[in-house]
Amino acid sequence: MRFRQRLVLTLCLFALSALAWSSAADVGPTYAIRNAKIVTVSGPIFEKGTIIIRNGLIEAIGPAEKTAVPEDAEVIEAEGLCAYPGLISAHTNLLLEEPQAPAPGQGTARLAMGQTTAPPLDPKDALEPWPYRLLKPKKATLDNFLKAGFTTVLVAPNRGIFQGQSVIVDLNGEAPESMVLKHLAALHINLTTNRGGGYPSSLMGTIAYIRQSFMDADYYANAQAVYAKNVKGMKRPEFDPFLEALVPYIRDKKPVIIQCNNAEDIKRAIKIVEEFKLNAMLSHANEAWRDAAGLKKTPLPLLVTLDFRPPAGSQYITQGEDLRKKAEAEIYPANPANLAKEGIAFALTTLGLSDGSAALKNIQSAIKAGLPKEVALKSLTLQPAQYLGLSAQVGSLEPGKIANILLTKGELFDEKTQVDKVFVDGVLWKF
Amino acid sequence: MIKRTALSALLILGIAAGSSFGQATPGKVIVLQGARIIPVVGEEVDGGTIVIKDGKIAAIGKSVTIPAGADLVDARGLRAYPGMIDSYSFLGLQEITGVNETVDNREMGRINPQVWAIEALRYDSMHIPISRSNGITAALVAPTGGLISGRSVLIKLDGWTNREMVIKNPAALQIEFPGIRGGRGGFGGGQRGGGVGAADASRLITELKELFAEARAYEKRKVFAQKNLMLARPAFDETSENLLPILKGEVPAMISVHADRDIRTVLQFIKDENLKAIFFGAEQGWKVASEIKAANIPVIIGSLYDMPPVWDDGYDQLFMNPVLLHRAGVKIAFSSASATAAKDLPYHAAKAAAFGLDRKDALKAVTIYPAEIFGVSPTMGSLEIGKAANIVLADNDILETRTNIKKVYIDGKECDLSNRYTELLDKFKKR
Amino acid sequence: MKKMLKTIGLGVLLGALAAWPVFASGGSLLIKNGTILTVTKGVIAKGDLLVVDGLIKQIGENLQAPAGVRVIDAAGKFVLPGIIDSHTHIAIAGTNEGSEAITPEADVGAVVNADDTAILTALSGGVTMVHTMHGSANPIGGPNVVLKMKWGRPSEELIVHDALRTLKFALGENVKQSSRTILPGGPPPRYPQTRMGTNAIIRRELARAKDYMEEWDRYTKLKASKTPPPTLLPPRKDLRLETLADLLRGKMVARCHDYQATEALEFIGLAKEFGFKVQAFEHAWEAYKIADELARQKIGISVFADSWAYKMEAAEGIAYDAGYCAKKGVLVSINSDSGERIRRLFNEASKTMKYGGLTEDEALRLVTINPAIQLGVEKIVGSLEVGKQADIAVFNEHPMSAYARCDITIVDGDVYFDRAQYLKDKEDAAKKAQDAKKGGRP
Repeated sequence: MRFRQRLVLTLCLFALSALAWSSAADVGPTYAIRNAKIVTVSGPIFEKGTIIIRNGLIEAIGPAEKTAVPEDAEVIEAEGLCAYPGLISAHTNLLLEEPQAPAPGQGTARLAMGQTTAPPLDPKDALEPWPYRLLKPKKATLDNFLKAGFTTVLVAPNRGIFQGQSVIVDLNGEAPESMVLKHLAALHINLTTNRGGGYPSSLMGTIAYIRQSFMDADYYANAQAVYAKNVKGMKRPEFDPFLEALVPYIRDKKPVIIQCNNAEDIKRAIKIVEEFKLNAMLSHANEAWRDAAGLKKTPLPLLVTLDFRPPAGSQYITQGEDLRKKAEAEIYPANPANLAKEGIAFALTTLGLSDGSAALKNIQSAIKAGLPKEVALKSLTLQPAQYLGLSAQVGSLEPGKIANILLTKGELFDEKTQVDKVFVDGVLWKF
Repeated sequence: MIKRTALSALLILGIAAGSSFGQATPGKVIVLQGARIIPVVGEEVDGGTIVIKDGKIAAIGKSVTIPAGADLVDARGLRAYPGMIDSYSFLGLQEITGVNETVDNREMGRINPQVWAIEALRYDSMHIPISRSNGITAALVAPTGGLISGRSVLIKLDGWTNREMVIKNPAALQIEFPGIRGGRGGFGGGQRGGGVGAADASRLITELKELFAEARAYEKRKVFAQKNLMLARPAFDETSENLLPILKGEVPAMISVHADRDIRTVLQFIKDENLKAIFFGAEQGWKVASEIKAANIPVIIGSLYDMPPVWDDGYDQLFMNPVLLHRAGVKIAFSSASATAAKDLPYHAAKAAAFGLDRKDALKAVTIYPAEIFGVSPTMGSLEIGKAANIVLADNDILETRTNIKKVYIDGKECDLSNRYTELLDKFKKR
Repeated sequence: MKKMLKTIGLGVLLGALAAWPVFASGGSLLIKNGTILTVTKGVIAKGDLLVVDGLIKQIGENLQAPAGVRVIDAAGKFVLPGIIDSHTHIAIAGTNEGSEAITPEADVGAVVNADDTAILTALSGGVTMVHTMHGSANPIGGPNVVLKMKWGRPSEELIVHDALRTLKFALGENVKQSSRTILPGGPPPRYPQTRMGTNAIIRRELARAKDYMEEWDRYTKLKASKTPPPTLLPPRKDLRLETLADLLRGKMVARCHDYQATEALEFIGLAKEFGFKVQAFEHAWEAYKIADELARQKIGISVFADSWAYKMEAAEGIAYDAGYCAKKGVLVSINSDSGERIRRLFNEASKTMKYGGLTEDEALRLVTINPAIQLGVEKIVGSLEVGKQADIAVFNEHPMSAYARCDITIVDGDVYFDRAQYLKDKEDAAKKAQDAKKGGRP
């Protein structure tokens, strides 16, 4: 081959490989969203601005007259529309396959003579090391949440006490691998009981079980460390997949998310967090305002749910019908507003809601109850991004960040507002 | 005075049902002297005398002629009361409530007017002497459960067989409406769970009306067939047969009903069907007291050892109910609604007195009012000449917990006050 | 009409809630002109009681209230120590860890629930403190907790840290799950199914706890030695065995649910075998059969007055049980074990006057100083004495009268229940509803 042909070939191969490197999937078209009111969240508001999307990322944002539209860009005329960062729900149980109910008699604490501790429900499976494999995204769910403005969600399993490890995904509609934004985002714990009939069947048993598990994980790590120094001459500590999986959360301070279903749970969770010095966030937290004092004393990231249904046994539902109605209509929806008043930061999540529009409605209730609009927006964008360690990638409209963008007719969270267009990973979503 | 020694009855499930009964010698006169007489009807008499002859009160007063040869009983320092009447109990139908083999008060199925309490009444139940030894001399024993539970019987707490104990059989036909909805909205109403919506109440009324209509039709066919041998006779219909007495007004219907709305519905039903009626329970009766009064229906108060079923009615609602009903002019009577706690009858009355019922009225509600309600006031319920000598000698107020009952007479016979408690105590005192 | 009444209900509640101020720790008030039943220091026919910052400052006559302090006129009324219920299951989220037999790692103190409206119920009956416990699903259940009935306060403020640490044991029918139906395909039966097995499993677990303590001793010795081996690992810290070890070390006392006399006697034997203290038997329906043993061993009982015949093992539970044992020198408390009966503890105690011949004063002790002693808090509550915490109830009649009613309940010097206020709020709410109706508003 002559030199020139070789050069062209080499350049072509290089270009091809460059293309191959630059995209796990299709890079998608280039867009220019023009003349929208741009609410960046982290920066200024552009009354009439332009956003350039390329390669799944935000390439540029600026006032419309100052921001050039690239030649390869498809122009989206957005006059009269508002642009926001795609909303982030920092805790959901969406997109998972329904867990199998245990067969009758299975998973129960068969206590034979000589046995002191029955094994918990499938401990090996409790901490699935590849949670992205549990994702079974359905278009209907994606449509539903994208229509409500959510582009990024944390997906956690919802079974048992050690619910599992979560994965954060962009709702881009592609294969699960392509959705993953962060794998093994956190360890999830729920202050609930073992429903299968085994141990523990009471909340006090659960708390003991959680504490014992962390103690055992610490002990396990210690035993491993001692063994590592004394391989010759020491019996090896028995491998335990459950404890193995727990060690990073207790030794390397990887994030732990504890689901708190009422005010007392928050106190219980804080106790556990302090005992084991966990790097923890409290989720659900529907009664967080009632322990404002405790939360100010021990500030922890809060993932506050937009599910305002009163928890079972709530004192607001055991004191007459009128109070119960008030609880659902006024008291619980005021949780975020009360926290904001106390100066306690939080992210809002859709935990417990399987319908995006219900989430939007509840955001409106929260705002009506006194939550400032800007706080609402921040708690669904930049705040969760910061809590989840994703603030370099999502949570606001900035050049370099992932192009998860909402275009709305009307201001976000106003009652009549509709989501007009959604971009996820820089691709325009087709409803 | 011949005293029978305690019988050792058959050991059923290890229960020794030893009871003992007094024995009167016919013609013998007993004179109680020096007591403070509280006749309930009429004025109290200090240092009074009661003459018992042929099972009845022959004379009563301050200065009374004492017949020769009479047994004189020194009652100085004691009070004489009429024997108390328990207006609703399971005496004789329950031994150990948790052991089903010993429980006979609830037949299966919903429509059971053919079920008669007298036929299962275990007259040597260990609970009867215990009640008797606390000054209770008569009790209504009722079946429960379903919509129509069966026939209740008024018994005296003395007799060698169940039939000997009968004062009035049937005393009433028991009909039961479900209780007020407890659950999350209320205190979690103890025995009165369940609930009736408006649709349910009218459904039950319709069902009853249909049964009544069938019974009337059955009666007609029977009568006609008697007159005309050519007409086919209706086959024996146990339901209709057992409903006819209340339809004919011969026997009252005792209707367990609880919520105010249901009481109204039932009041209308009683009017429509022209029934003689008594209410049992009526926990929200105070809300419709004037209507109950207008219909002239007496109310038997259920056990006050229960939580108010509706939070909004107040923590003291169950206690205030009899007080408010009485103030509105409704005739009330107290009950134990139990077998194992039947002896506590007077303390329910005292509890209502603690919350505002006049003490004299509280006493009436366990003596003369129940006698009037069950139509036996000519023969019992107060200490008056000609009435049965059902007399209790007590060292204090009979409604007080500290009071010791020294003697109990039923139909003029002195009763043995030993019971299961005293037998076991005596046995172990010997240790 | 219905709507008006519903509004009344809400009004009452909101009014009541509004009437309860948010307390710091310890209020001040002066109770005047009442009959003061101190329980330990006699009866003052007409006296005053001054509370300052949550403690009883003075008891006497003609006391003056400091400025700004509420005065409660108790003329014609009776002032007594707040009632202590030595055995309940209120104010906790969950009562039993029944999935296994031995669960002392499960601590009810970890699941206190200050939102339980049973606290209000307790207050309406003059109860100021409760010992809230595991249920009786387990031979060894776990630690219990003592709580003050401070409705509206955060749960950590309810816990009484001065109380003895108690460990719940249970024997008999509930533990062996006699009334449970084994369904095909359902969870299998749980060992033990007899009283023999119950004792065997307690013995086995306590022996394990002893082993555990031994292991730690050996480890500690090795660690402290001149050359501890490099592969030395401590024993695994086991919350279950730790708790049992605390019992054996004397840091906890046993409170044992028992009915039959044999059960109790054998349990006393177990306690001797392992060297732990039995503080009291719960329910103890046959205690009268072994009153001498109990008195001699200084083991108390915490019992009902006369709620019996609901199970076979309660078939010989006589109403004389409490009174007879008390007369024999056993430390007796009357408990409720019920969110309903807790309102009537004073009525229940009074029954021992009839069934047992106790005096008024003796009967009152059964729900005041006696449970306080059983719980180890007799230095701070259980009687009206200068220096004790101001847990006080005001009744309209002597509490041992069946006509008695609790009118005011005070915890740590703050009024948590006030019947007069409750009635006034109810009336106000009704008036408001009437006015609203008249005004044509719905």
